Amino acid sequence: MLKPGDPAPPFDLECALDGRVARCSLAKISTELVLIFFYPRDFSFICPTEVAGFNKALKDFIDEATAVIGVSIDNVDSHLRWARELGGVAYPLLADPDGDLVRAYGVFDDDEKVALRATFILNRKRNVVFSSSCPLNVGRSVSETLRIVRAIRTGQLCPADWKPGVEFGPTDGKF
Amino acid sequence: MASVDPAKKRQLFERLSSIREIVFGVQDGVLTTAGVLCGLSGAVSQHSQVALAALASTAAGALSMAAGAYLGARAEKEVLRAELDLVRADAAEKPYTVQEGLLDELTKEGLSREVAYRVVRLLSTAPKVLTSTAEAKMFGLGGPMTSKPALDGLVMGIAFLVGAVVPLLPYMLITVPRYDLGGALGATALTLFGVGYFEGWLAHRGDRWRSGMRFLVIAMSAAAAGYLIGLAISPLGAAAG
Repeated sequence: MLKPGDPAPPFDLECALDGRVARCSLAKISTELVLIFFYPRDFSFICPTEVAGFNKALKDFIDEATAVIGVSIDNVDSHLRWARELGGVAYPLLADPDGDLVRAYGVFDDDEKVALRATFILNRKRNVVFSSSCPLNVGRSVSETLRIVRAIRTGQLCPADWKPGVEFGPTDGKF
Repeated sequence: MASVDPAKKRQLFERLSSIREIVFGVQDGVLTTAGVLCGLSGAVSQHSQVALAALASTAAGALSMAAGAYLGARAEKEVLRAELDLVRADAAEKPYTVQEGLLDELTKEGLSREVAYRVVRLLSTAPKVLTSTAEAKMFGLGGPMTSKPALDGLVMGIAFLVGAVVPLLPYMLITVPRYDLGGALGATALTLFGVGYFEGWLAHRGDRWRSGMRFLVIAMSAAAAGYLIGLAISPLGAAAG
């Protein structure tokens, strides 16, 4: 699994976006940060809470100059139907049926043959600045992910449980 | 289109679930008693003593088989119940594990993931239905839980008695040496063939004759072995006397 500091593998894949098939290329994303979250499968009972949760909070991420991208090993048709099932998803759901991108980020579960529930945040240089993964049966916290995005964007030393409005740490690096 | 009454079909399946006890009991009753008759006929010369010993063996065998079937079914039911309680507690705490597990099973059985998802979602609107479906699909529970230990024991005991009467009755009625055992073995052979044939008929198999012959061969082998063992140990009885 990629760790902070690693360069993010590029991609140019089909995706479902706003009810249509589109293409999504990392090179063409211009936002300051890119949030990529991998999830195991479409049509499951944990993933929808995350996919829908990120969709609900999409405006907050956009306000933080962050593009949100979901990835699973399902094909684009499945993504389209899944997005429709969830009432629409306004960010790209990347189709990676061969699992190449999932493997490139080091989050392929060989036992279950699905992507781990992993999250990456890439900076402007498209290096990884944050990475984490959850057990397959535990959903991620969208609000915690948003908090981390906000903390990264401050460029400051952020103490534990930092959130906007809370004082930053010392700037001399003696944290 | 022929209509199927699920309640009647369920009753039929429940009755058929006793077939194991019936076949096992009859077969064991016939074989054990025929074996005892053959063995004792080889070792003991007096007809009435052989018949008496076979009667005692039949009574003990029927009680033993009934008790064994009862205790076995009861143990199975209790162990399954305990396991099921654990699964249900886990499901109540983490319902998504049941949903995901059932979804996987339905997918393995041939539904597309999307259709399976919709089915599980529909079932999730009635948690009890979701749980019972998941138990059947994920753990194969359902059949064993319907077993009735007391009924199983009773059926097994009666089946053993019915089976035991088959060789015993001709042996008791025919008092001519050699013919008594011949009558018992003849009745045994016919009955075992009949049980095998009946089993084949119940299973809608085409090779019912083969099924009957299989039972017959096994029975005759056991009877012949019993007789030979009786012959082999008869010198011991003479030495003890």
